[in-house]
Amino acid sequence: MRNLIPLAVRALTMVGVFFVVLLLLVLTLGLTGFSDRILSSVVGEQIRVERTTLAETIRDPDELERVLAARKAELESFYGLDIPWQRRLPASVFRVMRLDLGEARSLRSFAGSSRIADIVLERLPNTILLMTTSTVIVALTGLAGGLYVATRPGSWIDRLVSGLAAVTYAIPTWWIGILLILVVSVHWRLLPSGGMYSTPPPEGGWLRFADLARHAVLPVLSMVLVSVGPYMYAVRTITLNIAQEDFVGMARARGLSETRVRNAHILRVAAPPIVTGLIFGLAGSLSGSILIETVFNWQGMGRLYYDALAGTPDEGVIVALTFMFTLMYVAIRLLLETLYIFLDPRVSYAD
Amino acid sequence: MRVRQIRDALLKTPVGLLGLLSLAAQVVLSIWVVVSYPDDFGNRVWSNPIHWVDNPKAAPPAWIRRVDSQPRAEHWQTVRGEPETVEEKGRNLIASWNIPYIVEEGAVPAFLALTVRDVRFEERAPLLALTLIRPDETRVSVMRHAVRGPREGEEGPYERHFDDPLRIQLSADESTLSSLQEFLAEEYGLQMDAEEIRPRVMDILFGVPDATDDGFVPMAGEYTFLFQTATRAEDDGIGSVELVAGGDAFGRMGTDSIGRDLAQGLLYGLPTALVIGVVVALLSTSIGTVLGMASGYLGGTADTVIQRLSDIVANIPVLPLLIFLLFIIGPNLTVIIGILIAFSWPGLAIQVRVMVLHMRSSQLIEAVQSLGSSRWRVMYRHILPQIMPYFLAQIIFTAPSAILAEAGLSFLGLGDPSIPTWGQILEAGFRTGGVYVGYWWWIVPPGLLIVLVASTFMLLSLAIEPVVNPRLRQTRRAD
Repeated sequence: MRNLIPLAVRALTMVGVFFVVLLLLVLTLGLTGFSDRILSSVVGEQIRVERTTLAETIRDPDELERVLAARKAELESFYGLDIPWQRRLPASVFRVMRLDLGEARSLRSFAGSSRIADIVLERLPNTILLMTTSTVIVALTGLAGGLYVATRPGSWIDRLVSGLAAVTYAIPTWWIGILLILVVSVHWRLLPSGGMYSTPPPEGGWLRFADLARHAVLPVLSMVLVSVGPYMYAVRTITLNIAQEDFVGMARARGLSETRVRNAHILRVAAPPIVTGLIFGLAGSLSGSILIETVFNWQGMGRLYYDALAGTPDEGVIVALTFMFTLMYVAIRLLLETLYIFLDPRVSYAD
Repeated sequence: MRVRQIRDALLKTPVGLLGLLSLAAQVVLSIWVVVSYPDDFGNRVWSNPIHWVDNPKAAPPAWIRRVDSQPRAEHWQTVRGEPETVEEKGRNLIASWNIPYIVEEGAVPAFLALTVRDVRFEERAPLLALTLIRPDETRVSVMRHAVRGPREGEEGPYERHFDDPLRIQLSADESTLSSLQEFLAEEYGLQMDAEEIRPRVMDILFGVPDATDDGFVPMAGEYTFLFQTATRAEDDGIGSVELVAGGDAFGRMGTDSIGRDLAQGLLYGLPTALVIGVVVALLSTSIGTVLGMASGYLGGTADTVIQRLSDIVANIPVLPLLIFLLFIIGPNLTVIIGILIAFSWPGLAIQVRVMVLHMRSSQLIEAVQSLGSSRWRVMYRHILPQIMPYFLAQIIFTAPSAILAEAGLSFLGLGDPSIPTWGQILEAGFRTGGVYVGYWWWIVPPGLLIVLVASTFMLLSLAIEPVVNPRLRQTRRAD
């Protein structure tokens, strides 16, 4: 019960993050006049559709124009275009939350829909797939590697990991991706340079999965290469710090085996900060996935940013994506925070 | 822990010394770039295709010729002013320039271009002619051109091509095609039509027909370009003539697909990257320190508000929001720097607060306070000096993430177009498909430079890490 309170505080913070981002979105859109332009184009689009249908029934052109003008005024007041944007704020927030931002300009969903909500939601699973795969690989290898290195402090492999962590921290994930394309795809012709499936995609579940996996190797590898060093280093440092505490020495003095000391004493205490490290890495892996999707033409939400920015920029799609990324981040954070609480019941957030 | 310890860690460890030397070299180079480059390099030079028209497109660096054994012509460019000889011929004055050009075995240039500047005449417009004298003494008349004569209502003396140089791409010029047609017929008895000649102008100019098939074999040796002008009056003439033989290799770093000299762009990116890193780090760290001190020392409502705010800002996913804001406000370097600062301060604000809380309860501070020191004095004289090392360390930790963040944004096409950066060069290489055709000289160096500058700061932080609490390393990255 005691732990539910700090969890609630964290949850409130994340809800705060969510609403601050939402407010920032809407404020920027309002202050720069973007919101008005988006809504006007939504109204214009609807009027155009209605003109064609109404033209079937109303033959008199003057009558048609009059009906359409009335309809337009009606729509404008429905979307709140007749009142200043400050007073429209709550409605705008609500609209962004429902991803109701009208139609995309030229982008289409795979099923052919031009509704922004359809396009964005269709891409969501692809982004989650890429992110979770690489995060799981980083977490597992980082944990195993970090624990191993921690048993050999000062050895050459320890120094290698420290150096690697520092260097990879300075390497842009997306540049590693480009290099991998240059070497593995273009020079050696080993793996595809982009996309998620071959054209045409192979039939059958397993073949299709294998094809997807082949396309995912390079993007996942670039994300793992950049994140695994720092995470391994963090695990190593945390474990080493705890290994020097008195209670560990005490356990050894009691004659417990080294394995038991590690599992029952060091790891129990080290687990929560190790998870924290993972939580902190999440923001990085989110940004990494946006750029990596762009590099590898991975049909997720990140690549959609690039597509929406190129040519005639599609503001509705960009707003929706920013919102979705925040939502995704907040959701995963909450999940991990909950995990953190239950991982070690002794840990509480109180100072 | 004192600032002195940080200084020692930097000056007396190999890693710290290496980092400092690397940083010093970068700063010196940056100052040179800032002093020697024009102010509006981005708009007037880098983003201006006309400036790069004489360069070969997508050419690898010149030193590649020493690495691989493929025959490649190096880029060749020469400008001449005064003519070498002037002779009278009838009523005309013939001025001549002899320009030697050497073709190495198998290395035929990619294109040939002639540029004439500042033509001046009293009455009759000058005639310009270019002849190529080949190693086997055969002569090809490459070009004849009459400068545009007086317009109606125009008064002499006349000036032509002062602002817009006369540039003729000889390897694609129609009149070159017909002169070559004539030359082939007279010299070798070969009949070829213009469409057959068009794709192989350079092979014909710098080669002889192959006896076995209908190809041309490159002819190595000393060539001479004979450029001549025919004028009437004594003061008539041209300002300068320029010849360009486009190579398959160019300069120290090669060129991109519109012929930009990558060495220039890469150098220009250095001061920009350093400024982004240092400014963002300095300002965001200052904000974080001030807010953290205020939060810890004032306590109460101010503390709660600052801490809640830090907590929220620290947890915002930065990159999506950066993309959104830049897209709405417009790509501008100041805006990029401003937004990066706005999102980088919270980590330090939270840490500094904890430190201040710790110090406030120390006996020293309590004693000073009970002696009647003002809050301001306590903060300034007693708390700030203890936070200073963390402040310095945090600057070093923040700089690389700012540099990487800007590079990532530029890569998405949100870079400031008036200030070329390494991220933008990479974006151009990626967007135009340079990656997929293996233009490594366009892709590898800019990324390596980003890594070099960012890892310089990482070296510095590695050096001071034993001095500073390692927990400070939890900075966020938003690349």
